[in-house]
Amino acid sequence: MADSTKVGKTYDPIVWEVERGKIREMAKAIGDPNPIYLDKEAAIREGYRDTPVPPTFLTVPMMWSSSMPVLINDLKINFMMVLHGEEEYEYYRDIYPGDTITGIPKVVSVEEKTSKAGKKMDMITVEILYRNQNNEDVARARTLLVERK
Amino acid sequence: MGSELYFEDVKVGDAMPALSKGPVAKLQHVMYAGASGDFNPLHTDDDFARAVGMKDGVISHGMLIMGFVGQAITAWVPRKYLKKFGVRFAGMTKPGNTITITGKVTDKRQENGENLIFCEVVAQDENGDVKITGNFSAALPSKRG
Repeated sequence: MADSTKVGKTYDPIVWEVERGKIREMAKAIGDPNPIYLDKEAAIREGYRDTPVPPTFLTVPMMWSSSMPVLINDLKINFMMVLHGEEEYEYYRDIYPGDTITGIPKVVSVEEKTSKAGKKMDMITVEILYRNQNNEDVARARTLLVERK
Repeated sequence: MGSELYFEDVKVGDAMPALSKGPVAKLQHVMYAGASGDFNPLHTDDDFARAVGMKDGVISHGMLIMGFVGQAITAWVPRKYLKKFGVRFAGMTKPGNTITITGKVTDKRQENGENLIFCEVVAQDENGDVKITGNFSAALPSKRG
């Protein structure tokens, strides 16, 4: 059972400087040819200040910071039994190269559920609210982890 | 500049333009691991994947497939209008799969001065097996300014 006493706990901030090259690398890895992610001039023509980040970019600071393994250990979840069940993003402001974003991971819920097949599993929801260098909220990421038992 | 997508031009029931991606190659997993920082060997090391029960070897990062869905969405709705995007991971993708993303508009309404559209999306492989179901909302400009 994931440690439900950790609900409400926040973890060390994820601090990430957004780089143009990383945005391009992410778009290339996905195979997204949209020029707004690859070319500053094209992005400006389409009404952006610079190359915006693709919709799933916030996985980058989360994964590179290794914050998820820290959290999984702290929640006493069996790493081999955990699945990524859901992912959701809310976007409040554009994120551009040169921005420094800071995310605070927080455990928002731990619930036990029983599948249709009668198997018990824990559903752990983690949120990361990201703010930029101007202390403006830019996005919120919500991850549902499923621990099979 | 591309032609603008206006709130008035979007109707409930409209289909999002479909996008097909793939076939997914193992090399793409390596690129995605480097880009995203997700170095779980389940996605890049066949021996490891088999040892943990994947008889055909590596499986794709779920977030890579969510990335495909994000590509499909922002090829239609400009990135700057996207408000919310969420998915449920419903099935595993393997190298060789071709993933097709489709979607449709489920609702539209004006709220707090914004012109919102709500859409559902699904990503399926060449056999129709569902990999992702999800939804997104966007705030579009109006022809009425």
